[in-house]
Amino acid sequence: MLSDATILDISSWDGTISPSEFIAAAHAFAEKWKLRCRGLPIWSWICCRKTPFISSHEVDGYLSLEKLCILRSDKMEDHGIDDAGKEGLNCSENEECTDSAVLVHESCLEVHYYDLHVVYSSSYRVPVIYFRGYRSDGQPLVMDDIEKDIPANSAKVLMESKWTFMTEQEHPYLKWPWYTLHPCGTNEFMRLLFLIDVSLLEDRVAAEQYLTSWLSVVGQVAGLKVPLQMVDSTPPLTTS
Amino acid sequence: MAEGCSGSILQFAPFQSSVDEGFWHRLSSLKLNQLGIDESPISITGFYAPCTHPQVSNHLTLLSESLPPEEGEQSFVRDRSHSNRNRCAVPGILYNTNTIEGFHALDKQCLLREEAKKIWADIQSGAAEKDSALLSRFLLISFADLKKWSFHYWFAFPALVLDPPATLADLKPASDFLSLEEAESLSVACNEWRKSSATADVPYFLVTLGSNSRATIKHLSDWEACRHDIHKLLFGFYDPCHLPNNPGWPLRNFLGLIYSRWNLKSIRFLCYRENRGFADMGLSLIGEALISAPQEWRYEQHVPSSVGWELNRGKRLPRCITLSKSMDPIRLAVSAADLNLKLMRWRALPSLNLNILSATKCLLLGAGTLGCQVARMLMAWGVRKITLLDNGRVAMSNPLRQSLYTLDDCLNGGDYKATAAEKSLKRIFPAVEAEGVVMAIPMPGHPVSIEEENIVLEDCRRLHDLIASHDAVFLLTDTRESRWLPTLLCANANKITITAALGFDSFLVMRHGAGPFRPTQDAENALSSDMENMSLCDKNGGQRLGCYFCNDVVAPVDSVANRTLDQQCTVTRPGLAPIASALAVELLVGLLHHPLGIYAEGESASSNGTRSCEQPLGILPHQIRGSISQFSQMTLIGHSSNSCTACCSVVVSEYRKRGMDFVLQAVNEPTYLEDLTGLTELMKSASSFKLDWDDEAEIDGDEFVEI
Ligand SMILES: [Zn+2]
Repeated sequence: MLSDATILDISSWDGTISPSEFIAAAHAFAEKWKLRCRGLPIWSWICCRKTPFISSHEVDGYLSLEKLCILRSDKMEDHGIDDAGKEGLNCSENEECTDSAVLVHESCLEVHYYDLHVVYSSSYRVPVIYFRGYRSDGQPLVMDDIEKDIPANSAKVLMESKWTFMTEQEHPYLKWPWYTLHPCGTNEFMRLLFLIDVSLLEDRVAAEQYLTSWLSVVGQVAGLKVPLQMVDSTPPLTTS
Repeated sequence: MAEGCSGSILQFAPFQSSVDEGFWHRLSSLKLNQLGIDESPISITGFYAPCTHPQVSNHLTLLSESLPPEEGEQSFVRDRSHSNRNRCAVPGILYNTNTIEGFHALDKQCLLREEAKKIWADIQSGAAEKDSALLSRFLLISFADLKKWSFHYWFAFPALVLDPPATLADLKPASDFLSLEEAESLSVACNEWRKSSATADVPYFLVTLGSNSRATIKHLSDWEACRHDIHKLLFGFYDPCHLPNNPGWPLRNFLGLIYSRWNLKSIRFLCYRENRGFADMGLSLIGEALISAPQEWRYEQHVPSSVGWELNRGKRLPRCITLSKSMDPIRLAVSAADLNLKLMRWRALPSLNLNILSATKCLLLGAGTLGCQVARMLMAWGVRKITLLDNGRVAMSNPLRQSLYTLDDCLNGGDYKATAAEKSLKRIFPAVEAEGVVMAIPMPGHPVSIEEENIVLEDCRRLHDLIASHDAVFLLTDTRESRWLPTLLCANANKITITAALGFDSFLVMRHGAGPFRPTQDAENALSSDMENMSLCDKNGGQRLGCYFCNDVVAPVDSVANRTLDQQCTVTRPGLAPIASALAVELLVGLLHHPLGIYAEGESASSNGTRSCEQPLGILPHQIRGSISQFSQMTLIGHSSNSCTACCSVVVSEYRKRGMDFVLQAVNEPTYLEDLTGLTELMKSASSFKLDWDDEAEIDGDEFVEI
């Protein structure tokens, strides 16, 4: 198992992980997720070919979970189109709307989708979460929308925490702005977390457990709930 | 909506589009870097998958990979050649117009017919049986407004219209239609089909149900082999729709194919749907469609009519998306700049008040080495409102030391520094509210002729108004006497004033104390009560901090005229101005964050451990003097002087009484100020030690601000 190869020593540990630990942890995490969290969208490793001459990425890819659904029953405000005139079906242009085989159906559900990427930061030597939300037609959610989607108790954890700072930054691989939680407090937080939780893991910390613990906090910002099965450190029943 | 609905018209839930932000980013760069004004249609790839959520339909999605790779581009992040189980590739075509008029002028019916023709041709040729995704071919028209970062677009999912429409003989969940064994077997077969990379993205398929309840899935091209099992045959497709009583759009052209190629009038179809990634026979539907379309459908030359333009919230309207937030470089620059400051606040300085910084209006008198550098530092701290005042032009010697200028600014006699600096600041950070004012500062000891008087007076009034309309004033001119009038006006208006002055290898940076009169008093109306209030004390009873002129024994005189050439050509070590400018700005930031503001006492580095540590930004000194030759720096405190020629109560009240007349007299009579303040007397009696803080001067004498 991958996680055997990626063990950290807690005593002299500064809360960071190395690129190879990250890669191994990411794969182990995705694998474990697939086995233990059946039914949830899966994490996949997105491989990005290294760009010659630019060695800014020590890790040639990132972990990705896409289209996490959040259902909202309140229909969103209009995107600037007057809803008053539903009769306004303009049929003059062609016969199209006389086609009786077309179902006219308007959903009263507003769906928000979230994409989460876990990228390794070479400068901070920790994983960084990049995420974004969008409506069903692809229209991006703004910070306000995202904040409204965060359950109150998660919001409290995230907003009051001194080490989560939500901001917008260029995605290191995709090169356009995504939301992110700034990584400069991550190692400090993780070190403290594992010092407190050391009993759980005896005196050694698996990098995969690192990823799980970290993600179960930061993932909340994009509506991700890491199931308890992931935190449980006993081996999964279904081994492959 | 009919339920169970035997005999009713079979109604299809239209395909819904979803365009990933990445698609628009990529289209923009494609348009800018490669397409130019070429409007030829582009082949694109859409992706869809079976519905996987009981309440939410799947969409036809465009991603950045939907567009062809750019020429010479490093191969893109993801391997786009392969679609996968969650991204079944569907061919599409994009018409991107150069103008909004062009967008509206597109003949949409004609374009739709063109695509429908292709679908029909693929059905007739058998191509659609080999590559079934061809049945879901789609069309997108768009106009990319790259100036506003908005995208107008409209999808069409062409569907061949059966006329009269197909009717429904039966429609129910697959689990109701099938026996338990059959359902189980079908689930296994579907999951197998969806698992294998060879078939996972093949959206149409045939299902045969054997007498042993065994379900087998086959490709459409295996039709000949299956047709004998016709009574046990299901025509399956990946259904993006979640609705319990309607199949999704992809079935339409499938029915067309089945009817037209295989001549079936009664078609049993399977709307394949998943839940959480696995076949779900409760969500999947099995139905029977009855077709009674006219004979023409059998003829290859006949192209059935088509429908398919996507509605926008029930209306026939294009959609529009604006991405200025993630594409407008100015907005990106602003948010990046904010990010740095917010990070600093978050990590190190929770009390940092970014609103105060961005709201503070700074007036920089002088746009030379100090002015340029101060302006840059202010922007770095998030100050957004900067006015630069200078009457000089950019000389050839300037750009190396004056960090806002380049050689271009020196050409043809040189641009005005104030104007060039304003331009430069906006180039560095477009969101800055910069303004350049070309104007000379009247100076004492520089007599003016009667004809010039009006100009001087006008300048005085302008300077007065500028100071009144700003929150903080930086004195950064290159002569001592040009600082006199601003010092007086600031003392009068009680404005935050910061001075930076340079010698050859030493510098002085200081903040002026508050003026001699309480700011609550209106200067013109409350003259008599001012006289009672005037004092050297700040409002806490401590002594007022001095101004640039307070510590001088000598009042400002014409330092240019009275100096030897050598002195006039004083140059400074290049590192000096950046150091002094940075300190001047840090001093302002500290002052803005101090609860007492302009009244804050001077603190010195040695008074560490007392109250100084209370401020998160550190101590707030009065004066900082430094020397490069010694690589040293010290903080000093100097209190206001009763005989200061710029800020003492006698001078300020004289100015309040006589206004511009007073200024003119000071300008014209070299000894007037000294006489007025008693300095003349003082000088006679004392040959005091004089620390020589030379003001910055440049080799080209035209640098001096003169009237
Ligand atoms: Zn003074």
